[in-house]
Amino acid sequence: MMVVSMVAVLSGLPDTESLFLLAAGIFVLLAIVMLYRVYMGPTIQDRLLAVNVLGTNTVVVLALLSVALGEPWFLDIALIYALLNLLMALVVTKYTVERGGLR
Amino acid sequence: MSVSLVEVSLAAFVILAAIGTAIFRDVMAAIVVFAAYSLGMAVLYTLMLAPDVAMTEAAIGAGVTTILLIVTIAKTNRSSAEELIEVIHWPAVVVAGTFTAVVAWTVFEFPTIGSDEAIAWSNPSVTQHYLTYTYVETGVTNAVTAVLAAYRGFDTFGEAVVVFAVGVAVLVVLDREVFT
Repeated sequence: MMVVSMVAVLSGLPDTESLFLLAAGIFVLLAIVMLYRVYMGPTIQDRLLAVNVLGTNTVVVLALLSVALGEPWFLDIALIYALLNLLMALVVTKYTVERGGLR
Repeated sequence: MSVSLVEVSLAAFVILAAIGTAIFRDVMAAIVVFAAYSLGMAVLYTLMLAPDVAMTEAAIGAGVTTILLIVTIAKTNRSSAEELIEVIHWPAVVVAGTFTAVVAWTVFEFPTIGSDEAIAWSNPSVTQHYLTYTYVETGVTNAVTAVLAAYRGFDTFGEAVVVFAVGVAVLVVLDREVFT
């Protein structure tokens, strides 16, 4: 599939599906780059923000895949993630406040 | 076997996140990385056209598990970590790695996706029965969803009974009326 999308892009005749698939692939590669901040921290807040960005990134990937594979119900899962993303930030924030702040 | 850019990078992402979960010394950091792992797994499931599994992973893996673990830390002590990374016990890594390699070796023996020689597909008395009768019996067009949500509903009902019984038993042992 990757080769197909590469060929489609290079030959100047991109069909929509492979373009969207390529875009999704690039977004997943960006997710790996975002893991750098998750690893390096140095504080929990940094990591939390990085995972939050990853969550938003996931929503984008799911939306792109939804178009690329022609499966509209992928958007439902994207919506669940958009909601859960907020939830985790809230829980960690509440925990942080109750503890009187982390390092 | 067609391997797309999306699948390969997702697999790399999931493995990196899993390693992070294993080696972080700070439990809070491990929980946050575990949520990232769950994000990757859900997209993988979606890519394999298993929406129900992906939704469960999204709700349970990223949502409920994270909250449960954080609440647990809030109720107990979070050890203040000096080092970023856990001290790695290499003999254990070798043993676990060998085991993983042995298990991974079986992947090559799997039938290809969609193969009509797969055991699950070619078994006429069980699989074909469900494929033939699910829509008639349950009205659900997706056979997998029908098995998980309709047929296994009895299974889930049994689980609910067991969990309820355990809850009652725990309250009796603790000599309380409600969970606090």
